[in-house]
Amino acid sequence: MNIDFFATAIALLTFFGIAALMAISLNLEYGVAGIPNFGQALFVSLGAYTAGITYTRLMPLLAGQEVIFPCGNTLNPALQLRTEIMRTLPGVGLANFAITLVIAAVIGGIVGYGISYLTLRVRQEWYLALVLLVGGEIVRIIVRGYEPIICASNGLSGIAQPFNWLDNAQLASILFALMVVGFAFAAYLYSERLVRSPYGRLLKAVRENERVARSLGKNVARIRAQIMFIGSAMAAVAGVLFALNIGFVSANDYVVTLTLDVWVMIVLGGLGNNKGALVGALLVTVLDRVTAIVAIQLNMLGSEFEFNYLRFILFGVILLLMLRYRPQGILPEPQHTTLAHDMSDAS
Amino acid sequence: MILELQHVTKDFEGLRAVDDVSLSVDEGAIIGLIGPNGSGKSTLLNLISGMASPSAGKIMFDGHDITQKQPDAIFQLGLARGFQDPSLFFQMTVLDNTLLPVKYQHGEHPVWAILRGSWMRQERAHSVSALDVLKKINLREHFGKRAADLSGGQMKLAEMARSVMGNPKMLLLDEPTAGVAPNLAYSIFEQIDAMRRDLGITFLIVEHRLEILFDFVDSVTVMHMGRVLAQGSPTEIAANDEVREVYFGD
Repeated sequence: MNIDFFATAIALLTFFGIAALMAISLNLEYGVAGIPNFGQALFVSLGAYTAGITYTRLMPLLAGQEVIFPCGNTLNPALQLRTEIMRTLPGVGLANFAITLVIAAVIGGIVGYGISYLTLRVRQEWYLALVLLVGGEIVRIIVRGYEPIICASNGLSGIAQPFNWLDNAQLASILFALMVVGFAFAAYLYSERLVRSPYGRLLKAVRENERVARSLGKNVARIRAQIMFIGSAMAAVAGVLFALNIGFVSANDYVVTLTLDVWVMIVLGGLGNNKGALVGALLVTVLDRVTAIVAIQLNMLGSEFEFNYLRFILFGVILLLMLRYRPQGILPEPQHTTLAHDMSDAS
Repeated sequence: MILELQHVTKDFEGLRAVDDVSLSVDEGAIIGLIGPNGSGKSTLLNLISGMASPSAGKIMFDGHDITQKQPDAIFQLGLARGFQDPSLFFQMTVLDNTLLPVKYQHGEHPVWAILRGSWMRQERAHSVSALDVLKKINLREHFGKRAADLSGGQMKLAEMARSVMGNPKMLLLDEPTAGVAPNLAYSIFEQIDAMRRDLGITFLIVEHRLEILFDFVDSVTVMHMGRVLAQGSPTEIAANDEVREVYFGD
């Protein structure tokens, strides 16, 4: 068995950071505000497709070069061009990365806001769940069949992470991992602040009883659309980081199972608890990576047993056990969440 | 006059639940709305509070036409309501329940919420007011409890405390003493009377416990089969033969 433990740990940290962003986003939407977002894969994919487009269209422009169509006959020169820019012009790569994050967050946010505002006005939040579930598949099928976005079913390679210009590949991986974890931590802090504020109180009220919240002067459709904007923007940022981490954008990576993985994370960790979302993300990531490594090792040893599929069975069993024996998750939602309690305890 | 209903009608797929109801409520009054089950009382409250839209007619509140307005917009104008079934946010604490309806909270915005300095002072002031209101109804020491852990009577009181925090001009209450012990039921009405006296709140109350209701209301409107059957003082209503026949079965 030949495993580079340090590289594995860095990879694990990076995957954890990306998963944590997704989990915090869904926890905010469903755990805190009660919006059943079954389109997590859609919003993550929007971020990844945005990265595909900016790395092939925007980055050459930022570098003062001509844009080369990234698919078909010009696939190789386009790939060489972006690889060259990433390696020789780190400032351009970083600027392109920053712009990609902003564009992805805005696109994800607007799509989340728009869909939720339209569907939640009919006062049936499960319509939203279905629209997002189906919408994610529709977008995936369109992208897989429409070449200009990410070269259809071929996907796009050479979507390198922004520290790729460093000669030391390990250092580049460490910096990227730290940056990803930094994003996840920022999302955690933001989410915690929201939950502890009067806005967090409002979100929970909307989750518990929409009718009463409306009768107390709260514009429920707008509040839900706002939180979908925030959550979807976070998910799209996670999508950019996901694509950059694997260096490749393929529509096949953003299927329903991705959405279900994120649901497992928040149910496992504890709905409505941001720390729980982090714990869930960590457990699912570790389980995911360990099963992937074991699967590779078994394949190398000549085993015909496809261990990767065991992962889905494991997730299903864990979910069932949690719902049966500890539905509140590993870290249940705390009772005193808003800061008003701290003030009142003191008074 | 703070509330006026003009020929309000509500049809549900062929069934007329409210039929040409006209009603006016003076500012600072406590009005009882009574009638047998299915007479249209709760539907009328739903129409006034925006939970349902009238099929015909007009509803005016404090000079505003609220006929087609949404419940949140109606609340912002100063018209709040309670529900027949307990309607607290049960997984939230009593304090959070009480603070929720406060208007113009700076921290109720996804951007300002993370900038604590922008709302902490206001939140502290609101918390002090909320604790004062809870103290008046003997729930001060329960502020950190989950609302689900209160007794039925305490829940009703907490609901009223919550309504007061929204600073309403008028409150619609749907059976505020339902499921509450008789002694506590009386004390709920005493609180209602105190709110009218101290805060100037107008009340329209649907209630089945007439022996308590009649002690506190200025006038009573009786509904039967969606229509207004009679209006008058409690004494007049108690002496009305038509009312006695349809309501009391005499």
